[in-house]
Amino acid sequence: MPHQCTNCGRGFEDGSQEMLSGCPNCGGNKFQFRPEGADNSPPTDTEPPEPPEPPGGNSTVAKTVGKTAATVRDIVGGTDEPSVGADQPETADSQIAAGPTDTEDAAQASARGEVVSPDELPDHTPEGDHQFEPAGADAAASESSADDTRDRPDLKELREELNNQFESVKVVAPGQYELNLMELYDREEYIVALEEDGRYSIQVPEPIQE
Amino acid sequence: MGLLTNLKDSISRAASTLFSEEDPKRIGIYGPPNAGKTTLANRIARDWTGDAVGPESHVPHETRRARRKENVEIERDGKKVTIDIVDTPGVTTKVDYTEFLEHDMEKDDAVRRSREATEGVAEAMHWLREDVDGVIYVLDSSTDPFTQVNTMLIGIIESQDLPVLILANKIDLEDSSVQRIRNAYPQHETIPLSALEGDNMDEVYDKIAEYFG
Ligand SMILES: Nc1nc2c(ncn2[C@@H]2O[C@H](COP(=O)(O)OP(=O)(O)OP(=O)(O)O)[C@@H](O)[C@H]2O)c(=O)[nH]1
Ligand SMILES: [Mg+2]
Repeated sequence: MPHQCTNCGRGFEDGSQEMLSGCPNCGGNKFQFRPEGADNSPPTDTEPPEPPEPPGGNSTVAKTVGKTAATVRDIVGGTDEPSVGADQPETADSQIAAGPTDTEDAAQASARGEVVSPDELPDHTPEGDHQFEPAGADAAASESSADDTRDRPDLKELREELNNQFESVKVVAPGQYELNLMELYDREEYIVALEEDGRYSIQVPEPIQE
Repeated sequence: MGLLTNLKDSISRAASTLFSEEDPKRIGIYGPPNAGKTTLANRIARDWTGDAVGPESHVPHETRRARRKENVEIERDGKKVTIDIVDTPGVTTKVDYTEFLEHDMEKDDAVRRSREATEGVAEAMHWLREDVDGVIYVLDSSTDPFTQVNTMLIGIIESQDLPVLILANKIDLEDSSVQRIRNAYPQHETIPLSALEGDNMDEVYDKIAEYFG
């Protein structure tokens, strides 16, 4: 269970779409990526342990999120109009809202508040914040390297992976970036924080409950 | 599409009832780095609310998080127009910390500024997609307006059918050319001004009221 709700500790499989609509347990919307084996918290999960990820760990949530977004686009899209943005965010929300969700509660609201300073953001667009640490290079050895979550030897590989997932931002070198504006504009989710060691946070729009 | 459209409607309804009754229009101030967006936002905010929005600087990417000034009441011909103005980070396709080293910055600070600037552009692009009702596009009229960034952004704004006002800023500078901007984007109205000196602000406010009121 590489992903974990930071609120209640529930674990999620890589690629789990449940996270996209908030933790089904507690409604929390902040998740942390933990490589296999580093998972020393007590999530009550009945699913069998996952096999170690292949080297290069190409199954981070970021990718899943991107894929989901792309899938939603495919389902909904099918138009060749140049006006790409017009109805995508909402339809993506709709798609996500169809999943199991809880109504927003104080925990969720505060979880959000902790991550993104509310004054800095438009307060009419509640958004879930997801923090991810890409599994990256050391994923294969993860089962055995329980305490080594901070040890990421191959930054280059991590950076490459980040680049693949986010063709919207290319990390040329630390402090040097190339941005694909169209891609940034086009995405449901967006990058809120870049770190030189390959960590990053992205946000996805949160479904609005009625 | 029907179901999705309904959902979409109800989502936007839910969103609008969550917050104030009569939302003022949210106007994004966009443009390349260093065009004078913050200087303009500060001038508008100072003229109508008394306080400022954020720091201005000759060093590009001074603004790295979007900043909002709410409920700016602009009075024109006895009528009041209320808008929220959002000063956004300058949009660019390349951010390089070495650019900041020329401005007497330590490498660490330059790298951090570069990273924050990149995040800022991501944020600005995201907002453009969902969160603004109109755009004030600020250009430095002493530079070539016909760039990839400007063309792409104005194209996106057009594709969203957002009302847009192009401002030709820095007309106090010697090599300013408003006509060059008009030629580059003839489909839009271009208003000359100097945000720094406060030149031609009356016309700017007239147009803001006309476009976004
Ligand atoms: N001469 C002149 N300079 C101006 C004018 N408006 C802004 N400036 C200067 O241009 C520089 C950039 O101004 P800002 O308002 O910080 O520009 P910005 O567009 O917000 O820049 P970023 O936040 O980096 O994207 C500052 O040194 C301003 O003083 C103007 O009308 N005339
Ligand atoms: Mg600025």
